[in-house]
Amino acid sequence: MSTQGPITREEALGRLNELYAEEIEAGLRYLHLAVTLKGLDRLMVRKILLENMEETLEHAQLVAEKIVQIGESPTLKIQLNLPAERATGKEALRTALVFERAALDAYRELLDRLEGTDDVVLEEFARAQVALESQHVSELELLLED
Amino acid sequence: MHDWREYDQNPVSHSAAHHLVAIAELLVEFGYARVSDVARNLGITRGSVSVTLKGLKARGLVTEDERRFLGLSEEGERIARGVMAKKQVLMGLLMDLLGVPEELADQDTCKIEHLVSDETAERASRALLFLRSGAKEAVAFVDALQKFGRQGAPESFPSKEVEALAREIARETEDSEEGK
Repeated sequence: MSTQGPITREEALGRLNELYAEEIEAGLRYLHLAVTLKGLDRLMVRKILLENMEETLEHAQLVAEKIVQIGESPTLKIQLNLPAERATGKEALRTALVFERAALDAYRELLDRLEGTDDVVLEEFARAQVALESQHVSELELLLED
Repeated sequence: MHDWREYDQNPVSHSAAHHLVAIAELLVEFGYARVSDVARNLGITRGSVSVTLKGLKARGLVTEDERRFLGLSEEGERIARGVMAKKQVLMGLLMDLLGVPEELADQDTCKIEHLVSDETAERASRALLFLRSGAKEAVAFVDALQKFGRQGAPESFPSKEVEALAREIARETEDSEEGK
């Protein structure tokens, strides 16, 4: 945790590409969770997971467009090996909460790096994404409440 | 000879071994490890790291404090140290004995470092210690092997020479088992 200097264009791009991968990967995870559900609440939870998949892919598109606006092309690096195990609705939502929190952390970190810099547009984008991801996390937490 | 099915039952999967080793290395290098550090170290997403760590935490191999700094339990540390030691020994053996280039030795050991048994690793360590001992016999052995061995990657594997050798080894193994 060394003291970091102002964010450079390369660092911002690197972080945006990481977020692009987080969102695409999360989208694929949602799909996989949705199709491997088992149990009584399967139909209800599947609907939630598929809606979240769509939203997550929309976020990926937003991040990719942000990269293009900066004048670069998005780079996608993902490595995914999803097990064939079937999960109950609750287990699937718990897993979703884990990777949604990870995405929220990544946006928060980007926002921390941008706050107080001249890049107001990117800072506002990061802030908006933190709000959206926080909402996702809260909704999942509510669903998991007993 | 169907032990390959047991690899899936290995206590530590390839991915889990990499996560444990990454945490151990980050703790040594920086004194701390967070999900983001592990993700960058492994070149994967935080989502992936978090999902894998969920399983490792449930198994009591990884710990996380209230400030979300990661650590290893005694067992997690033992496994990480074991994998790292096996990697070093196997890499040393491939490079010193077989003359495999470092990058290839690194890639190949990555595939087996978490699967090799402790007994094989112990024997490999002794072989490497012997090779590096500077003993007259060790130096002569490596010299002779390098003079005998063909250099470089084959155009296609297995070559006829290797297949003939493999058949011969299989025959000898069968004969010796029948003789028991």
